[in-house]
Amino acid sequence: MTTPVPRVMVPGSVTKNEVFTVKAIIQHQMETGLRTDSAGKTIPRKIINQFVCRYGGLEVFRTDLHEAVSANPFLEFQLLATENGRLEFSWREDGGATYSLYHDIVVT
Amino acid sequence: MSLTRRHMLASTMGTVACAVALLAPKHTRGADEVEDLLFRLTGRKATPSNRLRLVMPAEFPTGYTVPMSISVDSPMTEADHVKSVRVFAPKNPLVEVAQFHFVPGRSLPRVSTRVRLAAPQHVVALAEMSNGNLLMAKAWVAVATNGCL
Repeated sequence: MTTPVPRVMVPGSVTKNEVFTVKAIIQHQMETGLRTDSAGKTIPRKIINQFVCRYGGLEVFRTDLHEAVSANPFLEFQLLATENGRLEFSWREDGGATYSLYHDIVVT
Repeated sequence: MSLTRRHMLASTMGTVACAVALLAPKHTRGADEVEDLLFRLTGRKATPSNRLRLVMPAEFPTGYTVPMSISVDSPMTEADHVKSVRVFAPKNPLVEVAQFHFVPGRSLPRVSTRVRLAAPQHVVALAEMSNGNLLMAKAWVAVATNGCL
């Protein structure tokens, strides 16, 4: 399996109190635990089970993902521009690994 | 051209097939099952509502990546907001799809993603409002291939 690579698309600057769109995607197989390999053995489940977006340290959007979310899970959601600050994104994988990145947003 | 027995048989069978299809529309049958399932999962009664919209294609060639958009009409104030939206695919081997959590004054209750569906089915969204109400919306999706799992 390839190392999951997260990516986000966020506008560089936004007007205060404006709504802006965030697109977040991570390259991930989302192995459901329902498949078997060629020897008939179950391939263990390994999915991204949670995505969290924080804005200025405060959680503003969260998703709990289950097996039925497609591989390379993609999320598009909308936030309100409240202040200059850091947007932090983190993806949690089964087994406890997390992948994260951040983006500083300018609010004018 | 004369009307032979073969012609008669073929046209009669066609008519019968149409009649059967009309008598048993696919949409009406699933409704009660879906509501029962939601009641079992949440222990509460959900109200069908057009404030909650679940938008999915009615037909899709593959079950692996079916687009899904959700939106809820809500002022998103402390007093009146959407806490979360859960999505279920009752015909999947594992019915839970995802749960989206929103924060009043910070995020809008709108989200898009892509999901896997095992069979043609009603996908169900359930919005939990700040006053405790549960709103429900359904979307019929006919996938041509099993995307699970």
